[in-house]
Amino acid sequence: MKQENNIKNDLLNLFSEDKEFLPFRLFNESIKNIIKEKEIPTSKTEQWKNTSLDAIFKHKFELGKKINVPNQFVDTFSFYGSEADRLVFVNGFFIEEKSQISQNKDEIYIGSLRNALQTHKEIIAENYCKTGLCKHNFFTAINSEYSQNGAFIYIPDNVVLENPIHIVNFIHGDNKKVFSQTRNLIVAGKNSNAKIISSYHSLSEDFTLNNVATEIITKEHSNLQFYIFEGEGNSANLINNTFVNQHEGSTFISNTSTMCGNLVRNEIHIDYKGEHCETDLQGIYLPDKEQHFDNFINIKHSKPNCKSNQIYKGIIDNKAKAVFTGKVYVARDAQKTDAVQSNKNLLLTDSAKVFSRPQLEIYADDVSCAHGSTTGQLDQEAIFYMKTRGISERKAKTLLMSAFIGDVLDKIEISAYKDYVKYLLNRRLKGQKVEGLCSLQICPSC
Amino acid sequence: MLQIIDLKAEINGKEILKGINLEIKPGEVHAIMGPNGSGKSTLASVLAGRDIFNVTGGKVIFKGKNLLDLSPEERSREGIFLAFQYPVEIPGVSITNFMRAALDEHRIHKGLKPMPAMEFLKYMKEKKALVEMEAKLEGRAVNEGFSGGEKKKNEVFQMAMLEPDLAILDETDSGLDIDALRVVANGVNKLRTKDNASIVITHYQRLLDFIVPDFVHVLYNGKIVKSGGKELALELEETGYDEIKIKADRS
Repeated sequence: MKQENNIKNDLLNLFSEDKEFLPFRLFNESIKNIIKEKEIPTSKTEQWKNTSLDAIFKHKFELGKKINVPNQFVDTFSFYGSEADRLVFVNGFFIEEKSQISQNKDEIYIGSLRNALQTHKEIIAENYCKTGLCKHNFFTAINSEYSQNGAFIYIPDNVVLENPIHIVNFIHGDNKKVFSQTRNLIVAGKNSNAKIISSYHSLSEDFTLNNVATEIITKEHSNLQFYIFEGEGNSANLINNTFVNQHEGSTFISNTSTMCGNLVRNEIHIDYKGEHCETDLQGIYLPDKEQHFDNFINIKHSKPNCKSNQIYKGIIDNKAKAVFTGKVYVARDAQKTDAVQSNKNLLLTDSAKVFSRPQLEIYADDVSCAHGSTTGQLDQEAIFYMKTRGISERKAKTLLMSAFIGDVLDKIEISAYKDYVKYLLNRRLKGQKVEGLCSLQICPSC
Repeated sequence: MLQIIDLKAEINGKEILKGINLEIKPGEVHAIMGPNGSGKSTLASVLAGRDIFNVTGGKVIFKGKNLLDLSPEERSREGIFLAFQYPVEIPGVSITNFMRAALDEHRIHKGLKPMPAMEFLKYMKEKKALVEMEAKLEGRAVNEGFSGGEKKKNEVFQMAMLEPDLAILDETDSGLDIDALRVVANGVNKLRTKDNASIVITHYQRLLDFIVPDFVHVLYNGKIVKSGGKELALELEETGYDEIKIKADRS
């Protein structure tokens, strides 16, 4: 216990100096009490029992600094040419000069939270800390109190955004072990429609910990697609919490691709504030080496007539480990709930591991809930069949793996982004080196 | 084209093939018949390179090369094709992508460039017509949810695409009604040339009404116990395998 307290104190000491964090305490009773109360999860914490943070907190961190990012790396992740709006963050700091915002007209806001506090204070105050994120756990609490900056996206009522918005998040250790926090807030107004990509990349090989928290509010009959791409370095750790409140008749779709990182923990929490909502959560994860990727989903059907769907697929190689927890809670009066969950895993070696945990808690009686979880290996019969047609073993395996994961990627509705993820995936599956994935080496001349 | 010399093979220590001898020349069709468990499918599997079987003796020479030294994919690229008794379902891999990958490997092996996309689609269309395969099948995943007849048609379609020197048809008639059998057999017959050869493995004489063999061999207990012309198949249809079994067991 003492040791755990030390770790917590070490982390909290990072914030003790009078640094300029987002002044969110203006809107909220202080979260400091929550921080005091919450502990860093251990293997005894039920929802973390298969994901240990011990190895991460053996390291001592310092806070990430504002570092500029060379143009070439920003360009690497311009998935769809020049039309898309782009917000660039490094270690949670907003890099305004590398960002590109063209859709900011009418009342639309695409920018940093810190800047938005000057112009959109009321909307931020109305929505910040309203999803349950702030008090969820130690990480979301410290993120709520001590974040550097993050994205604020506000789509007013009835606005349909043609082009996607891309939030590019870099982490850069600069030869140090760095801890960084980013806080995002997305508000989709009534009847609005938008697509947002949030991607994570490393600019160095340093040991890093990135604690990200995102709150999303989808107002009545809005439609929001939220894509998460995770390709941080082999020594980079990412804790990524997303809390969504859906209002009546709104649709929220997320698609998470976890391609690289040392330890990645994604949490997506959905809560319904109105009826007739639809949620589709999709994900792929491809841990390799000794990587550890954990997806935790929590869908709270607190209102009737909502429909949720989860489909997560993973390919686990070498000594890697994957964890999937899909929690569905159906409240007593949430009748006509329709909840489907599917988790499929492919283990490529004997030492690869997966923990798949569906958790259904149903208190209503007129509901339709289904879940399925499978874990298997590549079909040797299919590989032999392909070989007898002249296809090499490697190619046969690649075909099977892309087929396994392909239907999840086909759901991506931004075609340039879909092509990019498929391209990376194919190179990964063929065992080829992928430019821009895992780490971007800073070249001396740039 | 193919010489099998005293071929012996086992699985889990149990000897299945006990010394097979067979020679096949270009243009010939050889039928291999025999009762259940005689080793017919094992012979097909060993020729295709399935590694669960352990070759314990003998030689197989294919176009001057030692076939047993080659991997299954190399055998295919050299011109061997096995039409499976139970074609495997490959969810998520479309027939187009599957054939594209296979044909590319064959062409690279021959020192050719992969076929341009338009040309490939045209080529595929021609071959589909040959086996009367419905257009709707090409977008679907390989064998997934196919009927028995569709699966066998798909095997012959793949054979048409890859144009093998030696095709081995393993119980291609099993699970087919008479109409599907006719379509599949027609496809095989259309692919026959004076330069290629086939081995037709079957339990019943029925298939041989459609694919007429030059030679018929009876496999029993891991050995070829009788060989003859196409009339041998008719003879067997009448007498059954019992007489041959008794004779073989006695010797």
